[in-house]
Amino acid sequence: MASVLIREAKEGDCGNILRLIRELAEYEKLSDQVKISEEALRADGFGENPFYHCLVAEILPVPGEPQGPCVVGYGLYYFIYSTWKGRNIYLEDIYVKPEYRGQGIGSKIIKKVAEVALDKGRSQFRLAVLDWNKGAMDLYKALGAQDLTEAEGWHCFRFEGEAMRELAGK
Amino acid sequence: MASVLIREAKEGDCGNILRLIRELAEYEKLSDQVKISEEALRADGFGENPFYHCLVAEILPVPGEPQGPCAVGYGLYYFIYSTWKGRNIYLEDIYVKPEYRGQGIGSKIIKKVAEVALDKGCSQFRLAVLDWNKGAMDLYKALGAQDLTEAEGWHCFRFEGEAMRELAGK
Repeated sequence: MASVLIREAKEGDCGNILRLIRELAEYEKLSDQVKISEEALRADGFGENPFYHCLVAEILPVPGEPQGPCVVGYGLYYFIYSTWKGRNIYLEDIYVKPEYRGQGIGSKIIKKVAEVALDKGRSQFRLAVLDWNKGAMDLYKALGAQDLTEAEGWHCFRFEGEAMRELAGK
Repeated sequence: MASVLIREAKEGDCGNILRLIRELAEYEKLSDQVKISEEALRADGFGENPFYHCLVAEILPVPGEPQGPCAVGYGLYYFIYSTWKGRNIYLEDIYVKPEYRGQGIGSKIIKKVAEVALDKGCSQFRLAVLDWNKGAMDLYKALGAQDLTEAEGWHCFRFEGEAMRELAGK
C-alpha cells in the first residue's frame, strides 16, 4: 500500500499547488475568484521573505511501480498576530483530492501545522470553514478545534492548548 | 477644535496600544482573553522583522492648551496571503474610544489601511466583526465592504477593487 508523506513544499511544487488551489476553489463553489498565477506563488513563497508557507501531501508509490510521487493535498499557512495572544498561525487552505479522502491525510496535515506552530512558540492557529462544509467542520471539531462562531459570534476555527499539543504528539 | 492625525505607531506608543487593546476586548465582552504584554508588543512590532503594523489615531490639542497629543484609537494589521489573489492585508483590530466616536476617526483609519494596502500591491484587506456589533457592520458596509458570511457563508469583511480605491482616494 502506498504511503503518504507530509513535507514542506519546494518551489517546483508550485504548479501542482496551483492546480490544487483551483480544485479547492471549485469545491467551495468560488472558482471564478482564483486569479493567482504560478509565477506569483513561486515569487511569494520562495523569495527572501516568504509571504506564506506550504505543506504538501505526497503519495509515495509502492516500490517497483513506475510512477513517481504524486501530490494529492496541501496546507498553506502564514504567520499572523493576535493582539490577545501574540504570534499565531493562520491555515489559509487545506485540501485533499476527493479520491484520497478518508485515509487521514487531512488530519496529518493539520497535525503537522500544529507541530510547526508549537515549534515556533505559537499558541494557536486559526482557519475558516464554509458553513455548509459539514465534513470539514466535523473533522476539525473531532481534532479538538473550537467553532468560535457558535461560541462568540465569529466564524473561524481555532486550535490551541491541550488539543493542539495532543495533535502534535507532545 | 482639536484635529485628528492617523499616523504609524512608534515603539513608545505600545503602552497606549495595549490599553486600547484591552478596551476593545472589553467592548467585545472577551477581555479575559487578553494575555499579551507591552514587552511582546514592542518586540513583535518594532524588531527587525515586524509581525504586525499599527496605526494610531491621535487627537492633537488646540494650540495653547497644555496637554499633549492623545491616542484615542488604533488599527493593527499585518500582511497575509490569499491563494486566490496573492498578497493581502488583514486588519486584526480597529478601535476608537467611545467618547471619540461619531467624528469619522474609524473611517479615517480604514481609509489609511486601504492606502497602505494599495501602495504595497495588495488587492484586498480583510477583517472580522462580531455579529451583534451592528454599528461596526454598518460602517464597513457604508465604506464599501462585503459581508462574505451573508454572500458565501464565511464571516469576515473584505474591501477590494473600486470601493478600496475610492477609500484611498485613488
